[in-house]
Amino acid sequence: MSDKQQIKHNIEKALANENLRGALGRFGNDYVGARERAYTGKDFEELRDQIAAVKGDAADRMEELAGRFTESAQARGAKVFRARTAQDAKDYIKNLAQEKGATKIVKSKSMATEEIHLNEYLGRQGLDSVETDLGEWILQLCGQKPSHMVMPAIHMTRDEVADIFSKETTQELSADIPQLVELARKQLRKKFLAADIGISGANIAVAETGTLVIVTNEGNARLTTTLPPVHVAVVGLEKLVDEFDGVKPIIEALPRSATGQKITSYVTMITGPTPAAYPDGTVQEKELHIILLDNGRTEMQADPVFKEALQCIRCASCLNVCPVFQLLGGHVYGHIYTGGIGTILTAFFNGFQEAGELQNLCLGCERCKRFCPGKIDLPKLIRELRSRVVEKGGLPGGQKFVLEKVLPNRKLFHRLIKAGQLGQKPFQKGARIRHLPMFLAGLTEGRSLPVIADKAFRDQARNLSVPEGPSKESTPDSKEKVGFFAGCLTDFVYPQLGQAAHKVLKHLNKEMVFPAGQTCCGVPAVLMGVRESAVHLAQQNIEAFEQAGVDAVVTCCPSCAQALKERYMELMETDPAWHERAKALAGKVQHITAYVADKSGNGSSLRLKQTGGRVTYHDSCHMKGCLGITEEPRQLLAAAGLELAEMDGSDLCCGFGGSYSVKFPSISSQILDKKLHSMEAANAPTVALDCPGCKLQISGGLDSRGKELPVKHTVEILAEKI
Amino acid sequence: MAGSKQEQLFTKFKEQAEAISARVYRVHDSSAAGRQLENIIKELNIKKIAAAKSGLVADCLKALNTQDVAVHTSDLRRHAEDAELGLSEVDMAIAETGTLAQDSTALDQRLVSTLPPVHVALVRIDRQVDKFVDAVDYFNEQDLMPGYIAFISGPSRTADIERVLTIGVHGPEQLHIIFVDQAGGETCE
Repeated sequence: MSDKQQIKHNIEKALANENLRGALGRFGNDYVGARERAYTGKDFEELRDQIAAVKGDAADRMEELAGRFTESAQARGAKVFRARTAQDAKDYIKNLAQEKGATKIVKSKSMATEEIHLNEYLGRQGLDSVETDLGEWILQLCGQKPSHMVMPAIHMTRDEVADIFSKETTQELSADIPQLVELARKQLRKKFLAADIGISGANIAVAETGTLVIVTNEGNARLTTTLPPVHVAVVGLEKLVDEFDGVKPIIEALPRSATGQKITSYVTMITGPTPAAYPDGTVQEKELHIILLDNGRTEMQADPVFKEALQCIRCASCLNVCPVFQLLGGHVYGHIYTGGIGTILTAFFNGFQEAGELQNLCLGCERCKRFCPGKIDLPKLIRELRSRVVEKGGLPGGQKFVLEKVLPNRKLFHRLIKAGQLGQKPFQKGARIRHLPMFLAGLTEGRSLPVIADKAFRDQARNLSVPEGPSKESTPDSKEKVGFFAGCLTDFVYPQLGQAAHKVLKHLNKEMVFPAGQTCCGVPAVLMGVRESAVHLAQQNIEAFEQAGVDAVVTCCPSCAQALKERYMELMETDPAWHERAKALAGKVQHITAYVADKSGNGSSLRLKQTGGRVTYHDSCHMKGCLGITEEPRQLLAAAGLELAEMDGSDLCCGFGGSYSVKFPSISSQILDKKLHSMEAANAPTVALDCPGCKLQISGGLDSRGKELPVKHTVEILAEKI
Repeated sequence: MAGSKQEQLFTKFKEQAEAISARVYRVHDSSAAGRQLENIIKELNIKKIAAAKSGLVADCLKALNTQDVAVHTSDLRRHAEDAELGLSEVDMAIAETGTLAQDSTALDQRLVSTLPPVHVALVRIDRQVDKFVDAVDYFNEQDLMPGYIAFISGPSRTADIERVLTIGVHGPEQLHIIFVDQAGGETCE
């Protein structure tokens, strides 16, 4: 099977696994609240600034800190070994065991040892290496790999665990969790007491003092580092921080972000060897061996973009808030490090080729970015990975043609869309497409699609009227010239959004203009890694709005708004002149809803009709997560006399993600299911939102399920109330 | 340390520690600590104790009626294995998180707080700090970083099977914390 087929196969397997979805779903739902409570009284933004500073500095000076750590730890009596490769680390441990005549090893949880597949290797050398973390032990007994960095066996049920333990102890065990835990305690206690060597990882390594910090809940790391007379710690180079003080923000954030705990049951700080009891009954200093593991980290450090990933503290919050991970779990990612950050780490530890397919799993909802305590711009890193994979390997034929040839050529692109408008007729039923020919079937899985409008907004815009009233000279602000950026969905599928925006802006006495030279915002090209096309589209749009000479630029689409506000500057980074022009445009861009709220005193000056009613509001990922707009639409809906019935998880993704819903229709559709469920539970006759993409996904989902719940853009609702 | 500040910290500590399943007591002096220990022993029907030596531990044990219970303070690697209760004095209590902190470089300190199913920790009331980072600073300010610093927050726990919280895995399943107001001997600040 190719990588691609393998991933598709794994996805189908994961989606069919009810247990997995149950456990992950429950966790995903609880996690956000538990985390929030754990951070009470803490300033998360300040903490993550500190962590980004400490870890960013450590990443810059990784080699220097490795040297300083080595000196400090050696001064305290530890032996430090620099392992360039996974094999170097494994050989060192094997040789050490041979030298000591050791055969029995206990291990506490360590992602670094999972990364180098240490257990399998030691097993082949005839050494008995036992995982002592409960989850890891379960997996070791049944030959599986962790599916989550913090909760490795989250994909398994108590019944499965009872079966595994029954086999191990040759007794019939019931699926009672406390009894299963008790059994693990007894079995593993024997292993702890008999072990010759204890192997651990570390969460932080302090260069200044040579200290290792280990954060656990079960107490197995304390036993691993206390009982055996030899302790080996395998520590990735990214765990280094310079000063002991740097431990503080990390230790504050790690348990809170990982499991929603203020602190884990145990935090252990080890500096040099400490006394241990030897088999002859004497108590003497133990041997402490610290293996500083490189295995691709130096290469990551040397990369100007991906260096940022070294700021990761392995809390896994990016997994916990990821709508795709919540559905699929970690095994789909095929490697030890899972989820978004796992995709990046896999690229460096296992090869870009392997990560090439994985990056496709990202929806681009950007939720992880808000939660990362290392302040890593994970969506940016995934985009970069995508673009490098595409640069190297190219896109599949059809996508290549569309993204490289069609999209940058506005006239060709628009001609093709109009041809599509005719081509859809045979499949159309009312205003929606319910079925498509087989080869396009993925498009309509779990939702029906709206048809392409008979008359695109760009064709309707020619006849837009301008507000009457005082001229620009008399009241400079009132006749502001507002450029409307439509974006593809508003332009060709939902031209009524453009009409609604025009009505509202006119009511505010603004002159709305539609620069005809505008085209696709470029987000699809950015997300597909076709940087050149994205740059080309960006330049066309910048020029179109410059020529129109507008005071402000508004759009109904938060993804387009973000592209215009942020992405264009990123794309033009290497071209100072274009960067300046991108910056000038960025300064004018606002989402229509925020613009209207801003200009109308949160709707009060609109004097909207008060017809009453209830509405529930969906926070689009790019609206809340990227633009930070949550209050404005709610204020405007309130100004329209509507009562807001909040749904659970209003900011959870709807699963659209642009072309994602085409690439992974089954994932997208299941994320949508979850969204529709909470939306209906809010029991409101209308759904409001601020993104045409979400509108397409959600209204299509409702329609294909036979539900008649209107889904409206805030600006549509406002236009109705004028 | 001002009295009222100390009371505030204790209130906060108790609330936080109890929220993570520790049991918190407060007694006047070391002999009252001994009586509290005796209550725990009776309640749990403890027959064997492993204790890591300290002045406060010794005073507490003096007050304990040891007729029905074997108390071991040496050769702990052997005795802690099957002791039903481990007793030690910790250096510090952190109010914000309900955490105990200890320089655990001495092996006995680690054995009695990891192996037995019940850990009883004695702490002097004037050894409280507010924030977790205050305790980190305290250790950082010492001339030499201790070899093994242990932060203990509640009993050992896992949620590795179906995310169901289960107390007591590899470490103690019960943590009892006895604050002593007038411990005598060495005090802090």
